[in-house]
Amino acid sequence: MLHHKLLLVDDDRDLLEMLLSIFRRAGYTNLLTASSGSEALRIWREAQPNLIVLDVMMPCMDGFSFLKEIRRTSRVPVLMLTARGEAEDRIEGLEIGADDYLPKPFLPKELLLRVSAILNRAYPNQNEIAELAGSTVDMANAEVRKDNETLTLTAKELLLFKKLYQNAGRIVTTGILCETICGEFWQGYESTLSTHIRHLREKIEKNPSKPVSLITVKGLGYRLNLKEGSS
Amino acid sequence: MNPVQRFFRRYILSTAAILLLFLTVNLILLFAIMVAGTMSSSDSSFSAGDFSDHLVLQDGNWSADDTALSMLEKQSSWAMLLDENGDVVWQQNLPETLPRSYTSAEVASFSRWYLNDYPVKIWTRTDGCLLVIGYPPGTLVKYYFSLEWPYMGIMFSGIAAVFFINLLLIVFLILRNTRKVEKAMTPILQGIQKLSSGIPSHLEEQGELAEINAGLNRAADYMKKKDNTRAEWIRGISHDIRTPLSMVLGYASELEDDCALPQEARKQAGIIRRESEKMKRLIDDLNLTTKLEYALQPVRFKEVDWAEICRQTVGEVLNSGLDSRYEIVLTEMQPGHSIRLLGDDGLLRRMLNNLLFNSITHNPQGCKITLSVGEENGYCLCIISDNGAGISQESLKALNRGDAIASTQDSSGTSEHGLGLKLVVQIVRAHHGTISFSSSIPHGLKIRLSLPAQPHFS
Repeated sequence: MLHHKLLLVDDDRDLLEMLLSIFRRAGYTNLLTASSGSEALRIWREAQPNLIVLDVMMPCMDGFSFLKEIRRTSRVPVLMLTARGEAEDRIEGLEIGADDYLPKPFLPKELLLRVSAILNRAYPNQNEIAELAGSTVDMANAEVRKDNETLTLTAKELLLFKKLYQNAGRIVTTGILCETICGEFWQGYESTLSTHIRHLREKIEKNPSKPVSLITVKGLGYRLNLKEGSS
Repeated sequence: MNPVQRFFRRYILSTAAILLLFLTVNLILLFAIMVAGTMSSSDSSFSAGDFSDHLVLQDGNWSADDTALSMLEKQSSWAMLLDENGDVVWQQNLPETLPRSYTSAEVASFSRWYLNDYPVKIWTRTDGCLLVIGYPPGTLVKYYFSLEWPYMGIMFSGIAAVFFINLLLIVFLILRNTRKVEKAMTPILQGIQKLSSGIPSHLEEQGELAEINAGLNRAADYMKKKDNTRAEWIRGISHDIRTPLSMVLGYASELEDDCALPQEARKQAGIIRRESEKMKRLIDDLNLTTKLEYALQPVRFKEVDWAEICRQTVGEVLNSGLDSRYEIVLTEMQPGHSIRLLGDDGLLRRMLNNLLFNSITHNPQGCKITLSVGEENGYCLCIISDNGAGISQESLKALNRGDAIASTQDSSGTSEHGLGLKLVVQIVRAHHGTISFSSSIPHGLKIRLSLPAQPHFS
C-alpha cells in the first residue's frame, strides 16, 4: 500500500510541507505535490497518481473545478481537504465525485486512516491475509488456516470478516455489521448477526467460548484484534 | 387563542360593556331629572280634589275653611263652584272679568284649555257640582292629547323598534370596524411578535397601514442583516483559524509520536495536541451554534435508528483512542429493538458526542459514563450519567432553567460547561424535545434526553 503514488494539492506551502512530513513518516515513498489547480492538472496528466489529497480553496482553479475536470476521464480516488466544514460543501464535494471529505483541522492519524481506507477499497490486495492470534484468514480464497487445518468461510462470514478487518482495532456497531450482510433494511437481523459471529468465532478462534480476536463490545458491537505485530 | 385575537376579543367585550354602561347611565339620569323636576315644583301646589274636601255646604251656603283659603292664597289662585246649571254658587278671589255663569260648551272648552288665559284645574264633586280652581296666567302649562288606540300601539312598538334597531346598528358598526382594524393590525402585531422571538417576517406594503408595514419590514431586514453579518464574521474567523490550527495539530501529533525526542518534549507536544483538539471542538461548536441560532443551517429530518446512532457515537468516541481512565457503557432499555426517530442524523450524533465529551472534559481524573437508551410512549430516551465530580446545585438550576450560557469557563477558569451544552440544548429544541440535568447518586452528573419519535411541525 505504501508504494502507491500520492499527489498532495494545497496552495499553502507550509501545510503542503506538513502533509509531506506526515505521509513520509507513515512510510509513503512516492509523493508528489502541487500548489495550484493548474499545476495539479499538469502533474496528474504526466504522473497518473494513485490517489489525490485535494484542498478545496485555491486561487484561480479551486478544488471542485479541478475534481470536475479530472472526473471527465478518470476515476482516480480523491480525498478532499477543506477549511470549510459546512455540510453543503461536503455534499457538493461528494456529489462531484470525491471519495471522502476531511475538514480542517484534522489529526494526522485520521488523515492516514482515511487515505489507507480509500486505497484499500480502490486497490484491493488480491492476496490479502489477516494474521490473528489463533489463525490466519486468507480473504482472497475465503479460507481460514488454524492448527494445520483449513476451514472455508461462507459468503456472509467473509463479508463480515472483511468489514471487521477494514476497521481492525476499532469498534464496529451491530447496525453497521447487520447492514453489511443484510443491506439497508437490516432492522430485526441482530439475532442472525450473532449466529454468523458465533460461526465465525468457531472458525477463527482457538477457544470460541473465550474469544481473543473477535471481541464483543457490550451494548455496541464487535472489534477484531489482529495478531500483535501484524499491520 | 393567540395574544392578538385575545386583544381584539377584549376590545369587543369592552365596547359592549361601554354600551351597557351608557344605557344604564342614561336611564339613571332620566330618572334623576324626573325626580329633580318633581322636587323643583312649588311646595304649595295642591290638587283640586284636596281643595274640594275643604269646601262644604252648610245651611244652604257654601263655605271653605281656613286651610282651603290659605291654599288659594299661597298660589295666588282663585276658585269657583258651578252648580248643575253652570251658575257660580261659590267663589273666592274670582276675577271680575270672568263671567258668573257658564254654558256647557264653555265648561267643555276651559276644562281642556284655558279660561280667559287662566289655567284651571277641574274637580267633579260627588254632589254634582264642578269645582274650578284658576291660577295666574303663565304658572301652569296645559296640553290636550287625543290619540286613537291603534296609533298608540304602533307608537310604543315603534319606539321600542327604533331603540333596538339603533342598538343593533351600533353593535354592527362596532363589530365591522373592529374586524377592519383587526384585519389590518393582525399581520403587524404578528410580525412584531415574530420579530421579538427573532424571526423576521415580510409584510405586504399596501393599504392604510402601508407605512407601518414598511417600517416593520425595514426592522426585519436590519435584524437579518445584522445576524448575517455576525454569522459571516464568526464563519470567517473560524475558517481562517482552521488552516493554522491544522498545522499546530499536525506537527504536535508528529512530535508526540517522534521516538527520537526526549520523553518530556513528547509529553509537552501531547499537551499542545490536546489543547488544539479542544480549540477544534470549540470552533466547530461556535460555527454550528451560530448557524442554528440564525437558522442558517436547515435541520434535515429523516427516519433514523436512535439506538444505532447512540451505538455509533459511543463507538466513534471509543475508537478515537479514549484514555483508559474513561469507561463508556451503553445499555438498551428494550434490547434488540430498533427505535425509529425522525431527526437530523448529523446533529443527533453531534449532540451525543458533545454530552460524552462534556463528561470526559469535566472529569480529568477519569470516570465511568453510562448511556441508557430506549423508547417510552412515543418518546426516544437517552439517560447519560457519569460517576464523576458532578456540578453544583446552582449550575444545575441554571442549566435546567435554560439560562443563556455566556462563557465557556467558570470564574476559576477550569470548567468548560458552555458552548458544547448550548449546542446540545439547541439541537434538542430543534427536535422539539426536552433535556434535564440532575445529580447522579452518589456523585456525578445525570442528563435525561427525551425526543419525540415523530415531532409535530407547526
